[in-house]
Amino acid sequence: MTDMTSTHPGAADLHTDTALHEGAEEKRLGLWLTLPAQLLVLFIALFPILMQIYISLTDWSPLDGIPWYRAYELWIGLLNYADLASDPRFWSALWRTCIVMAICVPVQFLLGLGLAILFVDDFRGKRVLYSTILVPMMVVPAVAGYMFFMLFQSGGPVNDILSMFAGRPVTIAWLSDPDLALFATIVSDIWQWTPLMFLILLAGMVSVPQDQQMAAVLLGASWTRRFFTIVLPRMKTIIIIAVAIRVIENFKVFDNFYIMTGGGPGVATETISIYIYKVTQQELIWGYVAAIALAILIVLSIVSALAIKKLRGAQQ
Amino acid sequence: MQNLGKRFGDFTALADMDLTIGSGEFVALLGPSGCGKSTTMNMIAGMLDPTHGDISFDGRNMNGVPMAKRGVGFVFQNYAIFTHMTVRDNLAYGLKSQRVPRAEITRRVSEIAELLQLTPMLDRRAAGLSVNILQRLAIGRSAVVEPAIFLLDEPLSNVDAAFRAVMRAELKSLQRQFKQTMVYVTHDQLEAMTMADRIAVMDHGKLLQVGTPLDVYNHPADTFVARFIGAPGMNLLRGRVTGADTGLTVDLGAAGHCPLRAGQGGDVLFGFRPEQVHPDPAGPMEMTVTTVERIGARTILHLAAGDHSAKAVLDSETPVPDQGEQFRFAVTPDDVRLFDAATERAL
Ligand SMILES: Nc1ncnc2c1ncn2[C@@H]1O[C@H](COP(=O)(O)OP(=O)(O)O)[C@@H](O)[C@H]1O
Ligand SMILES: [Mg+2]
Repeated sequence: MTDMTSTHPGAADLHTDTALHEGAEEKRLGLWLTLPAQLLVLFIALFPILMQIYISLTDWSPLDGIPWYRAYELWIGLLNYADLASDPRFWSALWRTCIVMAICVPVQFLLGLGLAILFVDDFRGKRVLYSTILVPMMVVPAVAGYMFFMLFQSGGPVNDILSMFAGRPVTIAWLSDPDLALFATIVSDIWQWTPLMFLILLAGMVSVPQDQQMAAVLLGASWTRRFFTIVLPRMKTIIIIAVAIRVIENFKVFDNFYIMTGGGPGVATETISIYIYKVTQQELIWGYVAAIALAILIVLSIVSALAIKKLRGAQQ
Repeated sequence: MQNLGKRFGDFTALADMDLTIGSGEFVALLGPSGCGKSTTMNMIAGMLDPTHGDISFDGRNMNGVPMAKRGVGFVFQNYAIFTHMTVRDNLAYGLKSQRVPRAEITRRVSEIAELLQLTPMLDRRAAGLSVNILQRLAIGRSAVVEPAIFLLDEPLSNVDAAFRAVMRAELKSLQRQFKQTMVYVTHDQLEAMTMADRIAVMDHGKLLQVGTPLDVYNHPADTFVARFIGAPGMNLLRGRVTGADTGLTVDLGAAGHCPLRAGQGGDVLFGFRPEQVHPDPAGPMEMTVTTVERIGARTILHLAAGDHSAKAVLDSETPVPDQGEQFRFAVTPDDVRLFDAATERAL
């Protein structure tokens, strides 16, 4: 991308697409005419990231009284990255985020798939139920955080319901116990994002060609066989998209976690986003934050690249 | 099929159909789009439940039998090939679904592949195969489970005209090989005429006539069948049968008259095939030529006289009048078909 003027990737594209209609002259002219716009787009897209890279190589903090562009005065090279590699709080936040993801995404996927299976067929009250199911997705995540904060209070509805079943007062301190707090925050994420998974999977499921399914049934396939040999394989692309969206979003999970527990008790629910936020707002070491952000960007880019590669495979 | 009917809400897609299909027979359901052909097929296959009436296979009532248990082979309009699988997996799908032992699956799949010349592409992915291979694959996939009856819903409608003739011939020879009972849906009378043992002509959800292709062509049961079968369809002119001294004739007003073999006095629709027009300078019928269409071996004359219009198909060697000239011709009494002017049924 950066050596655009020397290798003319834009010109190469034109060559394959429109070589029959345009001469080399016109192609070159076209490139020159669009070059400023292309550079501008590149600049806008890349500037924040380039700035992050720059800051991450310094020990700059907004409190130092030096403008950001003079941060080179505090150049420390890769020291931030070295710190990061040996920062136990970073690694535990990363690990915790992965655990949250490893629980949330499969549960959301299975619930969403189950709901989608129910909703491909018609039944009474389908439309009302459909709209109802989508409501959690519309709730502002911060509000969802407050809702679950209330639900999981020791005198809150969750304990009340449990008391009813247990026949004796239950007063579990959900949000003060490290494991239970993580459980509660995970529940809130599942509540909020299963509908999205459902919506995407349902869209994929209804677009599986009806005649192929009929053909399978006419050939004697049972429901399960039809589902696993026709429906699911045909949904592969959409499944990859849905899971990738949720993996990436889950990696960035913040609002409801922060509001429910503030990352606590201790660091029991501190995800990577919450950690970054705390380092930024409370410790104000922005050079270090930039290093964390870049590390995460790299991880997410790898995840996206894998997903895109899978997608390409699925589409062939 | 007895008294079979289907309504969608207030709309009657199929009304009281009675049809018996013999074992090994190739029956074509022929009718214009929207006449209820697919609806009929889907009910035979069990994809739709009839509103009333019965479907039986070999005397066994099929109402309520789920489609997986009917033993119906169905070839969809677009073949519904499982494009995410290989050709082999497509062929084996039905047998695997029915838990046939693995060794037998392998044997039967290679047999059918051999028969349909699919062996070279058994391990290719089904996506991106050409239409005629897809058609063979669709037939093979259904045939390999040895269905009692084979249903094909407009299998050639997505194929371009040039290829259709090839596919028709292939399909017919496959049917002969398998000696399969086949019901073939089409809106193309040429397909029905060339392939079917019997044709069932439908319109607006009604079964109008069942018969061999020649039967339906020569003795249409009503004016719809008369017009629909044949290219161009039968000419129908309004006329009046009179018993003059020379014998029975039909008086066609401006177009002249034509002697008849039998009939009763009264208003009729006088029908004759365009192919059965005999140019005859002394003929009793006369019409004006409005258009002359020359299509290779044949010439089609568009004729008009008064309210009447008709077509005549002649050999290209026959001298034909020019546009605007009068054309005199005769129709042999044997070739005349009369229809009741009111009911439009054959007399
Ligand atoms: N599920 C349905 N609901 C309402 N009307 C239908 C349905 N399926 C078919 N029809 C109507 O029934 C008529 C017959 O349809 P079909 O059997 O598909 O005709 P074709 O002879 O072209 O195959 C059409 O007019 C169609 O609009
Ligand atoms: Mg149809």
